[in-house]
Amino acid sequence: MNRREMLIDLGVRAGFMLVIYLVFAVQLPNYHSAAGFAALLDSAVLFGVVSVGVGISMIAGEFDLSVGSLAALTGVIVIQIVGIGVLPALILGVLFAAVIGSLQGLVIGLLGINSLVFTIGTLIGLRGVALLVSHENSVSMPIPLLSETDFFTERFLRVLSPLSVGMVVVFVAFGLFLRFTRWGREIYAIGGGRSEARAAGVPLLRPMVIAFTCSGALAGLGGAALSLRLGSASPLGFETLLIAAVTTCLLGGIGLDGGVGNVVGIAIGLFTLRFLIIGVASMGAPYYVQNLAGGALLIFVIVVQLLATRYRLRSVRKRLSASVG
Amino acid sequence: MRSLRIVADLLQTGSAREIDAALLARRRWITTTFVVLGILILFVAAGVTTPVFLTFQNLLVVIRNASITGIIALGMSYVTISGNLFALSAEELSILSACIFGWLLRAKFGLATSLLVTLVGAGCGGAVQGGIIALGADPIITTLAFGGFFRGVASVVSGNQNILLGTHAAQWLGTGRPLGVPTQSWAFVILTLLAWFVLQKTRIGRLVVLTGANRAAATAAALRVGQGALIGMVLLGVCCGIAGISAPAQFGYAVANLYQGLNFDVIAAILVGGIALRGGQGSPIQAALGAIFISLLENFMLLHDFTTGFRTTVVGALVAAATCLFHVLQRSRA
Repeated sequence: MNRREMLIDLGVRAGFMLVIYLVFAVQLPNYHSAAGFAALLDSAVLFGVVSVGVGISMIAGEFDLSVGSLAALTGVIVIQIVGIGVLPALILGVLFAAVIGSLQGLVIGLLGINSLVFTIGTLIGLRGVALLVSHENSVSMPIPLLSETDFFTERFLRVLSPLSVGMVVVFVAFGLFLRFTRWGREIYAIGGGRSEARAAGVPLLRPMVIAFTCSGALAGLGGAALSLRLGSASPLGFETLLIAAVTTCLLGGIGLDGGVGNVVGIAIGLFTLRFLIIGVASMGAPYYVQNLAGGALLIFVIVVQLLATRYRLRSVRKRLSASVG
Repeated sequence: MRSLRIVADLLQTGSAREIDAALLARRRWITTTFVVLGILILFVAAGVTTPVFLTFQNLLVVIRNASITGIIALGMSYVTISGNLFALSAEELSILSACIFGWLLRAKFGLATSLLVTLVGAGCGGAVQGGIIALGADPIITTLAFGGFFRGVASVVSGNQNILLGTHAAQWLGTGRPLGVPTQSWAFVILTLLAWFVLQKTRIGRLVVLTGANRAAATAAALRVGQGALIGMVLLGVCCGIAGISAPAQFGYAVANLYQGLNFDVIAAILVGGIALRGGQGSPIQAALGAIFISLLENFMLLHDFTTGFRTTVVGALVAAATCLFHVLQRSRA
């Protein structure tokens, strides 16, 4: 994809996002109030942060299925150690998740194993560890400490909260990292054409470890931040996180074969999905209808992308045969 | 000119394969040996440490627990062998089948109609996914999407509440014990033999193996590669339908949170059974053995009072370890 194609692609996706927004905005009057928008931003934080991580692993041409379990595990741990202070606990939790992620990246990179399959194992195993660590019960913060996390829900400029500002920081930081640093470009390189990248002298292991470290750390950040805000964590939580993150990335134009996509797309995908889910929810549908809508949207995206790819291939082939003949 | 070269390559690999037939057969046995060995070791360890383990009653429990996972693993083995890794929607399609079956029975459609509609519906659920995968979509992502969709539909069909069947028509299917063995276990054994026969001896089975073994060669030989995915997913769908009928028949109700963790049990069975992830190798028997192994292990840990968390951790570690082990084994052979 060259620059122009990329802009057109992003434009189409942003248009789709606006269509979904307008469909609900017409029917629901309080959908576009400041309070409604603030709630929407806050609900997007967890999915947004984790989607950036999943997106980075997808750009590297790999897949990290373990994000939901890792988020649950980190949430449980952070709530258990919150006695040392909210911020230190958050930082330690994210570091822990980053270490788990980098270990996964190391195994996958060293063995050259299929990451989809390997992370199915860690998806089950980390869930088990979360159950072990929490003694199979939800864990909650000690009540005197609860007031220390109040700052999470403060509002400024009517719509922003520390959490949503944090999400914006994550998007900008990782966007810059992917676009302008050497390590970021290496992630694109091993995703776009692995053998070409290797022939050009790009190391395989380093970008692999970095990609999985990012997805692990961001899954941990999402899990830890949400658990701290709620004041409790369940070892069985975050089960639908993976499917939401994948939907977000696919809606945002992260290619399944790797090497394609950026954080602007992920942001568009995030709000497309949020507009739909919040819209369905505020029309009074129960949570399982929201999940149904998310699944249906993902199927729709997969089919449309499939048809678009086939169409593009066919037109390329036609052009090639015309130039030969 | 290009097609000629492909055919030539195909012929070369073809003859190379024939020469290696004995070697290939031996390799196939190596992976199966691992899981059989594992089952034997577990048997001895459990028999020595827990006296209850080797009772006939407990072994029936093991086989019965293995049955639901095993039946779906049979279908899943076709998907894996056809070169499409896994479907992450098996659990959800089973739930949907259970809810549809329960709904039909409650609406007094009669047992035969309900069974037929459920099985055909489950087959169609597989076919839609298979069709999209056949067009070139990624199998894991596609089935992840359909999983969310199926679970949502199941919740809507059941109103997210228990569907009481209100009839004993299906009770025998869930609780009957012909010759002292539960019906689910009979179904598991019969379907294992059937799945093995179809894969080894029929045209459909050949097609699945060949499209999985070498996609490019299969295309050049005018096989329809997409059909492999389609067949695998349809068979998996039917297996999910059969598994989905079992729970409501046994418990007398259907609900949208049955079969928790089934997807990963099935995948664990496939991986532990040693079916090659790149497709074209393995047999449903291996999937069945893998399911029995997992069930034995769970039973062993249950008898030793291990907690859920510990059991889940062990299964996860086992899957990760088995994946790495078979991956390294296969790489060293290549």
